[in-house]
Amino acid sequence: MSAPRYKTFREAVDALIKWTVERLERTPFAAFKFTFPKQYISPYGYLGTLTTIVFLVLGLSGAILMFYYTPSVDLAYASVKEIEESVPFGFVMRQVHYHASNFMVLLAVFHLYYQYFSGRYKIKNEVLWVTGIILGILTVLEAYTGYNLILNQRAMLAINIGMGLTFAAPVLGPSVAPILMGGGYFDLIVRFYALHVFIIPLLMLLLLTVHIPRALIIDLPMIVGVIGAIFVVGGMFPAEIGIRFDPSKGLVEVPEWYLTSIYAFLRTGSERFWAGALLPLLFAIFFLIVPFVDKSKKLSWRDRPFFTAMGIASILMIVVTTVWGFYVDFSQRNVFDQLYIEPIIYYSSFGLMTWACFFVTYRYLIKPRGKPTPAKPVVLSPASGAVAVAVTLAMVIAFGYLALMTYAQDLPNVSMFNMGMALILFGLMLHFYRHTSLTAAKPR
Amino acid sequence: MPDSGSSRRRALKAMLTVAVLAVIAPFTNLVRFFYREDTGSAPRQRIANTSELKPGSSLFFSYPRTGDPKIDGDPFRQWILIMTRDGKLRAYSRVCVHLWCLPIYVPERGELICPCHGSIYKEEDGVAIAGPAAFQPYPTNALPMMSIEVDEKGDIYATGVVDGRVGLGREWKLRSPDTNLKRV
Repeated sequence: MSAPRYKTFREAVDALIKWTVERLERTPFAAFKFTFPKQYISPYGYLGTLTTIVFLVLGLSGAILMFYYTPSVDLAYASVKEIEESVPFGFVMRQVHYHASNFMVLLAVFHLYYQYFSGRYKIKNEVLWVTGIILGILTVLEAYTGYNLILNQRAMLAINIGMGLTFAAPVLGPSVAPILMGGGYFDLIVRFYALHVFIIPLLMLLLLTVHIPRALIIDLPMIVGVIGAIFVVGGMFPAEIGIRFDPSKGLVEVPEWYLTSIYAFLRTGSERFWAGALLPLLFAIFFLIVPFVDKSKKLSWRDRPFFTAMGIASILMIVVTTVWGFYVDFSQRNVFDQLYIEPIIYYSSFGLMTWACFFVTYRYLIKPRGKPTPAKPVVLSPASGAVAVAVTLAMVIAFGYLALMTYAQDLPNVSMFNMGMALILFGLMLHFYRHTSLTAAKPR
Repeated sequence: MPDSGSSRRRALKAMLTVAVLAVIAPFTNLVRFFYREDTGSAPRQRIANTSELKPGSSLFFSYPRTGDPKIDGDPFRQWILIMTRDGKLRAYSRVCVHLWCLPIYVPERGELICPCHGSIYKEEDGVAIAGPAAFQPYPTNALPMMSIEVDEKGDIYATGVVDGRVGLGREWKLRSPDTNLKRV
């Protein structure tokens, strides 16, 4: 049998791709239906894919950070400082890892609420929904164990609160907490490290195999744009390392933004497990049971005013408690009074917010409206499309050059910003490219 | 004979169940892997001599001491020995039961004050009287106590935690701090 001969290189490549795709049909990949959209579609529908992509970015950047990070009580802070200040490109890698974690939490929350308001937890999606809620909780736990590894003041505040809450849990607390704690902080840091880099991500990947739907939209321009946005935000607002933790010094610090809501509950001075774990857990339980309570056949949020009102109320509560958790009253003299939140005002505000949301929803939001006019898609002619591709290409090159130059000038944050701009513009260029190749192919 | 067949199946299933249980049983010890168990739980450890202390003074020590600075420096092994203003000896955990900062002894006020959120503990019995730690219900508002021995040469020995868990507070029993001090 003679080897097949191909006339051109292109033919050989096509044959190779065909050969590979045919063999991939024997793998689980065949179960998925990947769609690469040929034109712009709303990202709301594939926020889950974007969350997964950011999860992969976190996995990559985190794996690289493991080369330098040392999970040891006396060396952890110094090793993060080394990554940030003296390891070449370490600044960028750490900022990407940090800001990608914020993006992932945010995207997961947006994903949750889009699916919630459009009633996607129905139509046989209950398993997807419940695994999604668990994945959301795991995402926050992953972020929590991650920022604790720095062992700065913010980390220690979070560790102490988290361990205190675990200890205070009825029945199980005193036997579960030592599993995380070991013999002291020197054990705790290693255990949190194991949780952060292996155990929780592994659980998330396993849950992801159940959570992922078979039809997947891979929108390359948007994916590149989101990764670019991480770089831009990282360059504009670089996360600080903070002050190295010293238990014999004062500690005025607030947790990361996705935990300040729980922090606000704790600052009311109520019993800590009740305030810091059980009440926030009600949120999670509400979302866990919602597909089993909302049995109506209606999908649109307009037709489900009760759940729409509950959803809006939960968003409002998250926003209000998160902002309240950041608020420190510096007019008070001692730290305890600065942080104290009056529980009567705090808890009664929930009743007020819920009432307001129900009022607004039933009074204004669910009113039937006229048919929405579909937005006219913007169509570029092939010529102007080509110009758009050329212009964005020039800007990508310019920002890439700027990024290289600013890095050489020892301005890693400016360089990171420029890298992000180059990525975003590259995403835009990809979009113009597919748009133009579509309009150019269409007969007039 | 359908009867003997089904009973044979039942016997086989029972044997399988017993076998599975017998295989799993030894693995229950895996739980212990997750806890770091201190073998010699309460070593007798010399802290200081009474001549080194005067009324209204304190010193820090780590217990149980291992010689490894990383482990000995752990906040959960930090203890404070106090000679109160009226000359009594007291040893408490240094870990504030609120958020695990390390309180310091202020002799002018006869109190231990936490630098983080201002919890204040009495030198006499280590119970919080002000600040966030005082808001916690009784057994969790007091610093764990160490039992100490003083021999005839005046050497002070720590002989083990008698009451409570570090960072958590005490157990549900009222105990006079004086009973934790032995003179041998």
